[in-house]
Amino acid sequence: MRLVGLLLVMMMLLLNACAFSRGTLGDELKTETINSIKKGVTTRAEVLAQLGAPDRVLQLNGRDLFQYYRYDAKVGSLLLIVVNFSRVSVKSDDLFVVINREGTVEEVIASKRTEGLEFRFWPFGD
Amino acid sequence: MTHRPLALLVLLSTALGILLSGCNVARLTINTPLTPESVAFIAEGRTTLADVVDTLGAPDSITDAEMGSIVTYRFLNAKYSRVNFGWLLKPWSPVDPDFVFSRSGLGADAFELLCDPNWIVTHYAFVRHRPEPPFTPYPF
Repeated sequence: MRLVGLLLVMMMLLLNACAFSRGTLGDELKTETINSIKKGVTTRAEVLAQLGAPDRVLQLNGRDLFQYYRYDAKVGSLLLIVVNFSRVSVKSDDLFVVINREGTVEEVIASKRTEGLEFRFWPFGD
Repeated sequence: MTHRPLALLVLLSTALGILLSGCNVARLTINTPLTPESVAFIAEGRTTLADVVDTLGAPDSITDAEMGSIVTYRFLNAKYSRVNFGWLLKPWSPVDPDFVFSRSGLGADAFELLCDPNWIVTHYAFVRHRPEPPFTPYPF
């Protein structure tokens, strides 16, 4: 018990500050919206109506590729008096919609990596 | 006798504090770094992009190529460490002396797949083969 008390006191003496910061870029890509896009059924106009204008439009062998993305950054800092640890973790959600020459969706490629993003202080390890 | 381990702990913590004076350790990761092991499941000519996306998630970019599409996953693993030995002189100096060793390492890389028009992976490779950067403040 005394050891725990002593460790707490030491931590209070050494712990100068801790900080949490977060930054996001882009609109959230909702799972239900992504699931509503059906290959061979959904049209270009419906994609634009549901998701808005894409962040990037590319030509892919005569087909249109709409790219939507969102970035999420989480920063954790543990500021001790004598040593500081900080870690910045950035992940993205991406959605690619390939639209064929007829104007319907040919392929949907999506994933939400930001769902598992956590605030981390410890810079070592994975 | 029970006070001895506590005294030792306090002494060790103080010594560690003095030794680590002015240390900063920081790390930046963008996306999950991929390794040759994590992409070993891809079989050229057989694996589809859908299989790859199921395992690795969506890529960061898809661009046009003469024989199909190039799919790119980008990731970054940057490490920074800094030690300011000037802190050791702080209690005895009228100014804040700095004597800093610092070093940063960038483990930026990209993983590219070439897919045919049917979204079957025909080739794949890492772009730069950067080694994992160490946490080492010694710059020489």
